[in-house]
Amino acid sequence: MAELTTIARPYAKAAFVFAKEQGDLGKWEKMLGLAAAVAGDATMRAYLDQPELDDAAKVSAFAEVCGDELDESGRNFIAQLTQNKRLPLLPIILQLFHELLAQEQRFTDVELISAFDLDDAATEKLVTALKKRLGTDVNVTTSVDQSLIGGVLVRAGDTVIDGSVRGRLNRLAEQLNS
Amino acid sequence: MQQLNPSEISEIIKSRIAKLDTSTEARNEGTVVSVSDGIVRIHGLADVMFGEMIEFEGGIYGMALNLEQDSVGAVVLGDYLGLAEGQKVRCTGRILEVPVGPELLGRVVDALGNPIDGKGPVDAKQTDAVEKVAPGVIWRREVNEPVQTGYKSIDAMVPIGRGQRQLIIGDRATGKTTIAIDTIINQKQNWESGDPSKQVRCIYVAIGQKGSTIASVRGALEEAGALEYTTIVAAPASDSAGFKYLAPYTGSAIGQQWMYDGKHVLIVFDDLTKQAEAYRAVSLLLRRPPGREAYPGDVFYLHSRLLERCAKLSDDLGAGSMTGLPIIETKANDVSAFIPTNVISITDGQIFLQSDLFASNQRPAIDVGISVSRVGGAAMTKAMKKVTGSLKVDLAQFRAMEAFAMFASDLDAASRQQLARGQRLMALLKQPAYSPYPLEEMTVSLWLGTTGRLDRVPVEDVIRFEHEFIDFLKRSHEGILAGIRETTKFEDEDALAAAYDSFTDQFETSEGGSIKAGREEAEAMEDDELGQEQIVKQKRG
Repeated sequence: MAELTTIARPYAKAAFVFAKEQGDLGKWEKMLGLAAAVAGDATMRAYLDQPELDDAAKVSAFAEVCGDELDESGRNFIAQLTQNKRLPLLPIILQLFHELLAQEQRFTDVELISAFDLDDAATEKLVTALKKRLGTDVNVTTSVDQSLIGGVLVRAGDTVIDGSVRGRLNRLAEQLNS
Repeated sequence: MQQLNPSEISEIIKSRIAKLDTSTEARNEGTVVSVSDGIVRIHGLADVMFGEMIEFEGGIYGMALNLEQDSVGAVVLGDYLGLAEGQKVRCTGRILEVPVGPELLGRVVDALGNPIDGKGPVDAKQTDAVEKVAPGVIWRREVNEPVQTGYKSIDAMVPIGRGQRQLIIGDRATGKTTIAIDTIINQKQNWESGDPSKQVRCIYVAIGQKGSTIASVRGALEEAGALEYTTIVAAPASDSAGFKYLAPYTGSAIGQQWMYDGKHVLIVFDDLTKQAEAYRAVSLLLRRPPGREAYPGDVFYLHSRLLERCAKLSDDLGAGSMTGLPIIETKANDVSAFIPTNVISITDGQIFLQSDLFASNQRPAIDVGISVSRVGGAAMTKAMKKVTGSLKVDLAQFRAMEAFAMFASDLDAASRQQLARGQRLMALLKQPAYSPYPLEEMTVSLWLGTTGRLDRVPVEDVIRFEHEFIDFLKRSHEGILAGIRETTKFEDEDALAAAYDSFTDQFETSEGGSIKAGREEAEAMEDDELGQEQIVKQKRG
């Protein structure tokens, strides 16, 4: 996966810079999202893997499935990927594109995991605190995991802020074992 | 094992609970992408430092070694079989540390400083970073005190000073480990003297050796009473490559702490060939580009930064020292292979052990010709300096003469005398394992050889003569030995010569003869044995 990221990076960057120049970031995000979903589909993958299919046939099949969502430049991008045999990288390219977009628009994807459903006031409070901490806007997704027992676990990329009861109990166990 | 009482245990628990930091802090997390042969690749972990300890699920630790754009390569320190793709890894924010301090004396620990000798926990008060920078130039001074190995051949010809790095190099089974172990055993007298300026703490780092070998080394040290001032850092063959790579640095960290404390330390790395091989394995698995003999580009730095940590500190810093005895195993006596040349160029001299000499029963099998000590001469005791003067030259001449004498049967008297002297010196330098000589006995023994007082003793009787002479001195001339021991100088040569004269009266060779001076059998040759050249003048007819 790490190696795939390295390979995918130039494609993601090229797509991002192109989209920025055209002022079409939103559209490209949508296009890449669709293309990634198509490339990730099992039936589609099986179809594209057929050895007797040449590159041109693959591109036209791909474009057909995507329909009008894919514009001229998007089709060219797919053609380029097909030629270099990098179609399976599309989901990773999408992920890197997101990261670049987040950097550009100064927001951070944050995952809030709590033991119980959070009410709006609590979420709001957390979001304010996180904005201050991370220095950027935050894009919050919430989920519930009862195994945390209590408290919240915040994930923002690599950074993890563990304020859960389970995390504290783990630390207590480590301290007693050391 | 120490008995723990219940209140003590709850005290400990109470204090640990009190110490628990319940504040939540942000930390860096990553995901294991692949696990292979003790190497893991991790996605994420963007804030990790080089050499940082990272923590896997289940309390296993690792060390980050490759920091790449999209992944982190780390070596697992422990059992990696429980690790799986997708597990979370987190940063600890700490560079790898091991326990150090006086509590480690007499213990056997692994590369992380955990005890493996079944004597309970090491209650060390301090820890120190494994990768520590070597002392700088102005912190050091030149080597000026000797380390006595107890071997006549080493202390006389390749003397080692405190703070020196002396390489022991040779093929397998040529007695490399034995020299190192004997040197440790020989520090017993210093240790028992209780004088901190004499005492030498020893560290034996076993890298990639058989568990049985390590156990027998430990047994030998314990039997000789040397374990009480020795720490063994063991990374046996069954340990993962990461441990073998790390063990020498662990030993060095323990030793450096004592050195900065003003104490003397002797550290044996047995052997660095295996450490280089372990590091090669780690590097190749981390996909670093291979170089000569498939070693990575920084294999020189691997050893140079380790051995540079051996030093003699200046008086301002407490005058502590750390003497390094790295061991390198050669293949087929080839000292020009990659790792041997590297380490030879780093160290301050080498003791080269030859398998031919070992097979011909010359033990220790030191090749006097290419063994050197670049700094140890300055650190020799006065007594040793006085008696070893011509030894190396005599032996060099002997070797040249020996090769020549193979082809020529008739030799002049001077050459015969050189040959005889050389044979006796070679016999005198033989010494069995685990029987180091104290300074005074060594001085006397070498005095016998270099002053030619053994020339009349038959070669097969040399060692017996030496033993009996030393026993004779112990019995009736103890003052001479005590004088050398206490002053480390050899001044009363006349008294020793007198003792020698009275001893030769009573010594009998194994053939029943005497070696008394002036009684050499040198009868005139019979007339018919003489073939005199005659020049006959003839008048031409």
